[in-house]
Amino acid sequence: MKTDLETIGMLRDSAARYADDNYSFHQRWAVLEQPEGYSRQAWSDFAEFGFLALRLPEDDGGLDADAVAIGAVMEIAGSRLLMEPLLASAIVGTGLLLKQGSAAQKAALLPALADGSLVLVLADEDEAGPCVIDGNRITGAKLGVLHGDIAGKFLVSAIDAASGAAVVALVDADAAGVSRHNYKLVDGRGATTLRLDAAVAERLQPESGQTAAVALAEIRDEATVALCAETLGIVKSLVHTTNEYLKVRKQFGKFIGSNQVLQHRMVDCLLLQEEVRALTAAAQQALAGPAEGRVRIVSGARAYIATAARKVANEAIQMHGGVGVTDEVDVSHYFRRLMVIAALFGNRDAHFARFVDASLAA
Amino acid sequence: MSEQLRARAETLRQEVRDFYATVMPAELRDKAHRHQVLSKEDYVGWMRLLDKQGWSVAHWPEALGGKGWSPLERFAFEDELARLGCPWVIPFGVKYVGPVIYAFGTDAQKQRFLPGIKTTEEFWAQGYSEPGAGSDLAGLRTMALKDGDHYVVNGQKVWTTYAQWADWLFCLVRTDRDDKPQTGISFLLIDMKSPGVTVKPIRTMDGFAHVNEVWLEDVKVPAENLIGEEGKGWTYAKFLLKNERTAGAIVGWAWHVLDRLKKHARETRVNGVALIDQPLMRNRIGEYELRFMALELAAYQAVTAMVDGTENGSEASLIKLRGTELYQEVMETLVEALGHAGVAFDTEALHSAGLPPLGPDDTGGILKDHFYNRAATIFGGSSEIQRNIVAKVVLGL
Repeated sequence: MKTDLETIGMLRDSAARYADDNYSFHQRWAVLEQPEGYSRQAWSDFAEFGFLALRLPEDDGGLDADAVAIGAVMEIAGSRLLMEPLLASAIVGTGLLLKQGSAAQKAALLPALADGSLVLVLADEDEAGPCVIDGNRITGAKLGVLHGDIAGKFLVSAIDAASGAAVVALVDADAAGVSRHNYKLVDGRGATTLRLDAAVAERLQPESGQTAAVALAEIRDEATVALCAETLGIVKSLVHTTNEYLKVRKQFGKFIGSNQVLQHRMVDCLLLQEEVRALTAAAQQALAGPAEGRVRIVSGARAYIATAARKVANEAIQMHGGVGVTDEVDVSHYFRRLMVIAALFGNRDAHFARFVDASLAA
Repeated sequence: MSEQLRARAETLRQEVRDFYATVMPAELRDKAHRHQVLSKEDYVGWMRLLDKQGWSVAHWPEALGGKGWSPLERFAFEDELARLGCPWVIPFGVKYVGPVIYAFGTDAQKQRFLPGIKTTEEFWAQGYSEPGAGSDLAGLRTMALKDGDHYVVNGQKVWTTYAQWADWLFCLVRTDRDDKPQTGISFLLIDMKSPGVTVKPIRTMDGFAHVNEVWLEDVKVPAENLIGEEGKGWTYAKFLLKNERTAGAIVGWAWHVLDRLKKHARETRVNGVALIDQPLMRNRIGEYELRFMALELAAYQAVTAMVDGTENGSEASLIKLRGTELYQEVMETLVEALGHAGVAFDTEALHSAGLPPLGPDDTGGILKDHFYNRAATIFGGSSEIQRNIVAKVVLGL
């Protein structure tokens, strides 16, 4: 699957146009006030645009989007700070279902995913030990489940009680034995700690024979690459807005951008932006390639991008001065979004360690 | 610097630790430990507690109720309080305007204002920055025009910390439209209850409103509230800024957050191994330890120069630069070490003394401080301005 450039351009344009019209920084205030932490209206609009069916096969009305196409949308999600569960449900949840679901399971869930009536998220990070599934009952706890507060169903990574093999289990949010500790993240989105106490679960059983372990490794890398694209959108916005500020803010009778020290620091931010762009593109390409090379590039990109984005965000605040730490400007919102991104699907150190291991393997 | 002075500073540190353990009310100590948001009542209570200990104005001359503390004692006091995680000593009265009043004010002004500053009977705020005058303070435009026995003040101040609580605002204003930037400035004390004063909160990234915009519209200020001479405000402001840049607390804060980082890194296990034993984290914490050692020694060197009278004017800038940079980086790592708890946030809980959504009980407070202290390299003279100062006064550039 390789999405053609025309489709990617169309996706990017329609997402950007939608955000221009409906999701400006000021319009977004209303979304931040939603108790659910996202806009239901925007979510159903995304369904209508086909963003929720990005990953679906063309036969099911989808785009069968590749990483570049997904990245085009994620870049907008980052630059416009979209609050909806695009990554969690439309890309990761749906993506994993497509890999691991049986034909019947897919038929049952994909229409609801595409029309936005179902939010399906992956609960992956274990609190202590792994979740264990025994027959059709699952027990364990998962941390930091992005949008888990609004999910209708969960895909839970687990191991089989008997064989110890990896399993992906489908769990209904309302099932007995499921409890959620919901909370808000620093960027205003919601998350949950998911606790499962002998909850009824349905195993995903793909006809393809792909193991759950392989599918989970793939989806984690896909999520990681999508986060790279989201970060690219944020970094580009921060560089742009800060650069503009240097041209309009005057102190000591001149534009602050005329100070050489700020010019040089702005150049360093631009360099970082270009590296983030190049690394994101390389990581997207690597997803399509063989597993051996994939890990090194994907995790290397993520580790470098995490550091680069933090540096750019810190500089953006510093160069904005006092207004940079207020809630009233987008800079501080990008800063908070980056904090959340940094905690999803492995932090910087985890990816760096993985990169080093892959690089130094004999 | 004499051995005697060193010994006095060490004794003072011990007194501060004893005070924290035995005198400070448990409730306030708990709030401080958790880095909770404090109310005005909390702060007033805190400042009065310090006053009772004889510490609120210990840096003032003895004749005015102080102890005539040396720079070393001042440093030791602020450093030790910050290491313990105590609330900050709100500086606007005791550190900023108080010394300006006793150095440049009339006897009547001293009698009127100094007692209330010492006991925090009256709460002060600082009206310095304006939308167009941040780093370039001399670019301020708030006008105070003389009209008989009073001034009529018009303008807008910004970043005014605790203006919502303040009884008084000490304010830099322009009393002469035509003068050069720095010569037309005067130093005025404005009663916040005056008609025409409007306080508008600014919400910062941490979800709170510690700072404000203060709008001044045809505010009548009695001429007797002018400090010193008209047009000399810049001289007084520079005198005050010297007090703003004592930088004692930043070393203590850096120590405090590094201590918290080590604590959480010991207590947090990832894949069965304590974070502090994971090579990348261990290495990073080790680097911070080393940098803290350098900061602490450089700070002592700077304070020694102040005590000995050999300072060159760059000392406080250097400490602020290194201290705030280290503080911010340690904070980033601390937030990272908290994992998912480090991105979960509940502002309500921070007000109501409730628990954070996830993680240890100080998590919410750490996040709040992480957000707010991105401004540590901006307020009180940004890092860029500090470097300009050092370039000018030491390097002659």
